[in-house]
Amino acid sequence: MTAIDLPVAGKRPMSPTAVVMLLLLPIAVINAIGFLWPVVNLLRMSFRDSEASGALLETSGLTTWINVLSDSFTLDLITGSIGVSLFITVLTLVCSYPIALYLHRCSGLWRTVLLVLVIAPLLTSAVVRTYGWIAILSDQGLIANALLALGITPPRLMFNLTGVIIGLTEILMPYMILALLSGFGRLDPRFEEAALTLGATPWKTFWRVVVPLTAPGMALGCLLCFVLAISSFVTPKLLGGGRVFLLATEIYDQAIVTLNWPMAAALSIIILVLFGFALALYTRALRRIA
Amino acid sequence: MKTTVQISAAVLALGLMTQAAAAETNLTVMGYSGLFQERYTKAVLEPFMKAHPDIKVTFFPLPSAAAMLGNLRAQKAAPQVDVVMMDISVSKAGTDEGLFTKIDETNVPNSKDLYPAARVEGVAGVGVTFDNLVLLYNTDQVKEAPKSWMDMAEKTYDRKVVIPGVPDIQGLSLVLILNKANGGTDYLKDVSKGIDAMIKIAPNVQTWDPKPEVYAPIVTGQASIGAGWNARAQVNSITSNGKLKATIPAEGTVFQINAISLVANAPNAEAAKVFANYALSPEAQKSFTETMFYAPTNSKAQISDEALARTAVKFMDKAIPVDWIALAKVRDAIGEQWRRRVVPASR
Amino acid sequence: MIRTAPEETAGLKQGEGFLSLRGLTRRYGDFVAVDDFNLDVPKGELVAFLGPSGCGKTTSLRMIAGLAPSTSGHIVVNGRDITGVPPYQRDMGLVFQSYALFPHMDIAKNVAFGLEMRKVPKAEAAERVREAIAMVRLTGKEHHRPAQLSGGQQQRVALARALVVRPSILLLDEPLSNLDAKLRDEMRNEIRDIQKRLGITAVFVTHDQMEALTICDKVVVMNHGKLEQMGTPHEIYEHPKTAFVAGFVGRINRLAGKASGGVAEVAGLKVAAPGFNGPVEVMVRPHRVSLSTDGVQADGERHALPGTVTRATFAGDILEYEVEAGGTIMKTEAATRGGEAVLAPGTPVTLSWRPQDTYVYAAS
Repeated sequence: MTAIDLPVAGKRPMSPTAVVMLLLLPIAVINAIGFLWPVVNLLRMSFRDSEASGALLETSGLTTWINVLSDSFTLDLITGSIGVSLFITVLTLVCSYPIALYLHRCSGLWRTVLLVLVIAPLLTSAVVRTYGWIAILSDQGLIANALLALGITPPRLMFNLTGVIIGLTEILMPYMILALLSGFGRLDPRFEEAALTLGATPWKTFWRVVVPLTAPGMALGCLLCFVLAISSFVTPKLLGGGRVFLLATEIYDQAIVTLNWPMAAALSIIILVLFGFALALYTRALRRIA
Repeated sequence: MKTTVQISAAVLALGLMTQAAAAETNLTVMGYSGLFQERYTKAVLEPFMKAHPDIKVTFFPLPSAAAMLGNLRAQKAAPQVDVVMMDISVSKAGTDEGLFTKIDETNVPNSKDLYPAARVEGVAGVGVTFDNLVLLYNTDQVKEAPKSWMDMAEKTYDRKVVIPGVPDIQGLSLVLILNKANGGTDYLKDVSKGIDAMIKIAPNVQTWDPKPEVYAPIVTGQASIGAGWNARAQVNSITSNGKLKATIPAEGTVFQINAISLVANAPNAEAAKVFANYALSPEAQKSFTETMFYAPTNSKAQISDEALARTAVKFMDKAIPVDWIALAKVRDAIGEQWRRRVVPASR
Repeated sequence: MIRTAPEETAGLKQGEGFLSLRGLTRRYGDFVAVDDFNLDVPKGELVAFLGPSGCGKTTSLRMIAGLAPSTSGHIVVNGRDITGVPPYQRDMGLVFQSYALFPHMDIAKNVAFGLEMRKVPKAEAAERVREAIAMVRLTGKEHHRPAQLSGGQQQRVALARALVVRPSILLLDEPLSNLDAKLRDEMRNEIRDIQKRLGITAVFVTHDQMEALTICDKVVVMNHGKLEQMGTPHEIYEHPKTAFVAGFVGRINRLAGKASGGVAEVAGLKVAAPGFNGPVEVMVRPHRVSLSTDGVQADGERHALPGTVTRATFAGDILEYEVEAGGTIMKTEAATRGGEAVLAPGTPVTLSWRPQDTYVYAAS
């Protein structure tokens, strides 16, 4: 007899389905209040009419959505944001993979120390870390001075797309490394040894065995980093110098500076839809891998 | 018997306490956080509370006018804020949404002494501070005060110019100034001459989005020259021992107005009027101008010469009139030209 | 007659090996995992590395495969020194304890992997994969994933994958220890059959002495990184060279004694111990000890020791006794014949065994 079947004070035992439903209820409520309700509000806001002053009218209509979807700027914004985020995601993957692989193979105290080093940046805010990059990338910064000392005129490393890519890549690396590590469970060193004894060079072993086995981790890391990159706001704002136009920064400008809340809401919904696409792509990729 | 007496005493005591609490009105004033909050509390809120011991003022700081508007929108049904101070164009949006009670001589008597520019048609509030765009420079890197805004286009300032770009109204103001200087007539119809001039400055620009504000990089010397608001520039000039200085170039300047508004259906409507009246009074205006160098909106305010020199009051002739309300309608169009022409020229 | 360890082990002579190890050593700091290992395995033989965990047998195997570096010494295969050669150029097939089948490939792809790496033409590779899968009786499972197969089936795939490339040497690392007892016997015979059929030289690492004795041509017993003894299963079992081998391979009774002048005194017995002086251990296997209740006397034919039964265990096909004798507990076991009485604890008995079943070692 299992614990669930025990009759309690004459009451009939709950069915397992009912227990599951009951346990899911709190998170469902939290989700409804914390996510669904704001999204519904956002959606409603995107249909509100507004005046040039930013004043919201009581009426609703399609004006904002027509503007958003017909304006070449918004379309550039969407494609540009996706492109930049994908580039950052791939760069983050390339930079994080060796670190994650090394960490996976470490053990004991050394692994703990390295893991703390990887996670440590997450303990400071993205703002602080971005200011750190400003100190390194600015015209009087570390890299510029080093290049000058070598007699090279330093290129612009920040207040442009380069700076945003460098900053975001570093900021997203801990997430990628942790996601990769969580997906490296299947990567038993015996598989690599088996491949080596079967005549595969280390290079072939990496591509034929290590990469496919770590693909689920890579997919998860890429999903996470893409979503974080396309919704990141602080770093593009601080390192972009007003030259980089991304969805998230545009939402900020529309909401805070131009005071066009319906437009900000519409762009937010577009990001949400992009999340949905990314998630669907991830699920499909995962099914292909598994 | 004994119990009854005790209960009556308790009820009496409770009643007295409630009365005492009722005597103190808890007024909430919303305004900018940071430097503004710090200086305004010292210059206006503290003297006000001394003069009105029955009113306790709580300052509710927010980083931007849009954030203030957002708060007021959310509280529309049951406002928590009594008075708000924010940029006039945002306050226009609030007026249109019916968030404010109109200020006039009957409910806020001191409003009769305001400069005409402090009253804007279609806005419920009135101007409480004037500010203006100034050319900022680092005194280590720029020895002589620049004479023209176009000095920013000089080769020596390559990657040394900081300007908060459009849609920020500092960048917008600069476009308007340069438009006029280059023969533009009606900025509501065409600012292409201003945009053309900005394109000349653009290659020198280090960032269009200086953080946290435009003043810090000039103080530290990371940038040499830029555009910003006078009041904050003056405070930064003093705190940096003159590392940063501000000047109004020959082409002139543009004024920015912060309006004070009474929140409609506010919990302490009467106290709010008392406070607004005080905020507009010559003494409060004098005090705040001498603390933070916003130009006063009350014509009767007697400002010390030293403070006056740091405001734009003496350069009123250099001011280019801007109808911020009408400008809101063409702001998107200017923003588009900015993105299409000015930003690419800065890459 | 007394049998001590023979001086020379038959069969394995220097220079005869297809696989030869010369002074192979592996050190981790001060710890010596494998110490000066010398071995020659003739072509076509199956050799077991037998020993307790940590004895260096797996490290030795990994050094042969090229997966672990050696500190010093040489590995020679068919006259070619491959000590520094990377694993992917060694041409060896390795079967892992955990099978290590690639989970992202189906059975056919797993088996084909080695052929693909060797760039075997597609048509030929397909044919060889088919044959290899048929050899391990898994035809029809080509497109299953490893996780869909049972442990025994996975082990057979691992074997097919290792053999399909026709390696010069087959290495097996505890290949049966993850299987249940019944399957283990079956797989053991299957591995042996295939190895014999292909005539492939093979090394089989195990900690299970039964497995080593039953499957192999030669057994190498290792302890603490050192080779204790090598020989045929019969030699290892009947003529253990050291106390460790005697104790590790098969069951044993130990009696402490003292030797002088070629004779050891043990619990009142005199046992021939030529060449020994000082404390010795005298050993005899439980099933070589007879138990009787009618007072057999020691004579030239048998050693005899009186004792008292302390425990009797009836295990179906055998009957085990623990007997207090000679100051220790001696074990005996005998096949049941049916009808015999089980002696009660406390029954006085006499234990006896033949002198040639007696081993004598210097006490450690």
